[in-house]
Amino acid sequence: MSGAVVDNGRPSRGTDAGHAAVELRGVVKEFPLSRRREPLRALDGVDLTIAHGEFVALLGPSGCGKSTVLRMIAGLEAPTAGSVEVAGGAPAALIERHRLGVAFQDAALLPWATAWDNVALPFRLAGRPVPEERVRALLETVGLEGFARARPKQLSGGMRQRISIARAMALEPDVLLLDEPFGALDAVTRRRLNLELGAVWARLRTTTVLVTHDVAEAVQLADRVVVMTGRPGALAHVEPVSAPRPRGEDFTRGHAFHEVVDRLVALLDDPSDGRR
Amino acid sequence: MNEARFLNRFLQVAWPSALLVGGWAVWVRANGYTDLVAPMPQSVAADVLTHPGAYLGPVLTTTWTALAGLVAGMLLGGLLAVAVWSSRLLTAVLTPAAVLMRSVPVVAIVPVMIGLFGTGRPAVVAITVVVTFFPAFSLVASGLRAPSASTRDVFTVLGASKPATLTRLLIPYAVPNALVAVRIAAPSTILSAMLAEFLIGKSGLGFMFVDSVSYSHYARAWGTGVVATALAVASFVAATRLERRTLERVS
Repeated sequence: MSGAVVDNGRPSRGTDAGHAAVELRGVVKEFPLSRRREPLRALDGVDLTIAHGEFVALLGPSGCGKSTVLRMIAGLEAPTAGSVEVAGGAPAALIERHRLGVAFQDAALLPWATAWDNVALPFRLAGRPVPEERVRALLETVGLEGFARARPKQLSGGMRQRISIARAMALEPDVLLLDEPFGALDAVTRRRLNLELGAVWARLRTTTVLVTHDVAEAVQLADRVVVMTGRPGALAHVEPVSAPRPRGEDFTRGHAFHEVVDRLVALLDDPSDGRR
Repeated sequence: MNEARFLNRFLQVAWPSALLVGGWAVWVRANGYTDLVAPMPQSVAADVLTHPGAYLGPVLTTTWTALAGLVAGMLLGGLLAVAVWSSRLLTAVLTPAAVLMRSVPVVAIVPVMIGLFGTGRPAVVAITVVVTFFPAFSLVASGLRAPSASTRDVFTVLGASKPATLTRLLIPYAVPNALVAVRIAAPSTILSAMLAEFLIGKSGLGFMFVDSVSYSHYARAWGTGVVATALAVASFVAATRLERRTLERVS
C-alpha cells in the first residue's frame, strides 16, 4: 500500500523545483527499549513524497508513528533505515540555514518574553536583525496585534498557540511542521483557529506537514490526507482533497466534506488495522 | 486586611525572638551563671544599644566579605554548572570534585586557604566561596535542564547554536533556581564569613568576638553573636525579597 504515494500533480513552487519538498523513502524507525528486549518498531517502511506548496495532513490514532514521521522531517530523530530528504538534502542542512518552522501542541513559548519577543526569536536565533515591521505583520496575521507586549501567562491557550504559529512562520520557512498545534484547545477555539490557519495558508502556500488525530481538521486543511495505522506505523490510505481555497465554513458544512470525513473515520475505526 | 497582615508579620518575627531571648534568660538564671559564663540578655542588649559605633564597623566588614563571597560563589557555581552542561567529560571531572569540596569541613579547609591566599581578607572570602558555590552549582545545573522538551525541540529546529541556546533559553530558565541558591546560601555565607574571621581574620564580627573574649568583655562577645544572628536573618529576608521581585518579572 505504501510506496504508491505520489504527489497529486500540484504544480511545484519555489526555487527548488528540481526535487520534492519532502521525500521519505523506505523509512524504518526503531526505538531501543532495553538491552535484552527487541527494539520497538515505530515505523515500518514509510514512503511519502510531498510537493512544494503542498499541505499534507498525517492522520491516525495515538501511537501510529505520525509524530515520529514529523520529528524525522524536523531532524529531531534519525531513521533506523531508509532516507529522509527535505528540500533535496538532509533536514540538518535546512536547519542550519534556518529554513524550517515548527509548532507543537504545547506552545513552547519563552515565559519571560513578550508575544513580540517570542515571534522575534527565530530572527535572533538566526543571528539576523529583527525586522520590526515583519514581526508586527506576523502578530497581525494571527490576530494579536494588540497583545505585542503581553507575556504568555497573561494570554489564553488559543492566543499562545497563535504566537507559536506566528513564530513558526517568522522566517518564511521552506517547510512548516505542525504537530497537533491545536490539540490541547477546546473544540470551539480549535475550529476557529483551523479556519484562520486555512485562510492564512491559502495566501502563503508554504509546504506544510500537519500531524493530527482530528479527521475534520485534516480534511479541512490538507491537500492530501495520509491515514496511518499503528504498531508498527505504516501508511494505510491517501485521500486527496481537491476543494478550492480558501475553504470557509460553507466547505466544512457541505456534503462532500462530511462524506470524506465519514469515510476516513470508518477507516480509522476498522479493527483489522492497528494490530497486524 | 492590611492590619491583619501587619500583625501576622509582627508575630512571625516576635515569636521566635521572644522564645530565643526568654529561653536564654531562663537558662542563665536557672543555672545561676555569672556574667563570665553567660551574661543576661539585658546586659548584652545594653552593650549593643549603647555602643552602636563599636559594632557598625565589624558589621559592615562582615557584610561586605559575605557579599563578595556570595557573588563570587554564585558565579563560580554557575560557571561550573554551565561547564558540566557543556561536556560529559567535564561532568565526570567536576561533579565529584565539587561534592568532595563541599563535604570537607570548613575548619579543615582553612589551612589550605591560608596557604593559598595568606591570612587576610582574600582567604576569608575564599572560605565563604567554598560554602556558597555548591548550592549554586547544583541548583543552576538542574535549572539548566528545566526547559520542556518541546521548547528545546523548537530551538533545535530553528537552528539555534549551542551558545544561543544557553543564553536565550537555558540560563533564563535557571534564574529561579539561582535565586533559590542565593536564598539558601545568604545566611550561611554571613555565618561562615564570621567563622573564617574568628579563625584567621583581623577584622569583622568574628574577630570582634575573639578580641572581646581576650579582654574578658563577655557582654560584647555575646553581642557579636546576637548581631550576627540578626544579620543572617536579614540576609535571608533580603534574598527572599529579591527572589520574589525577580520572579514577578521573569515568569
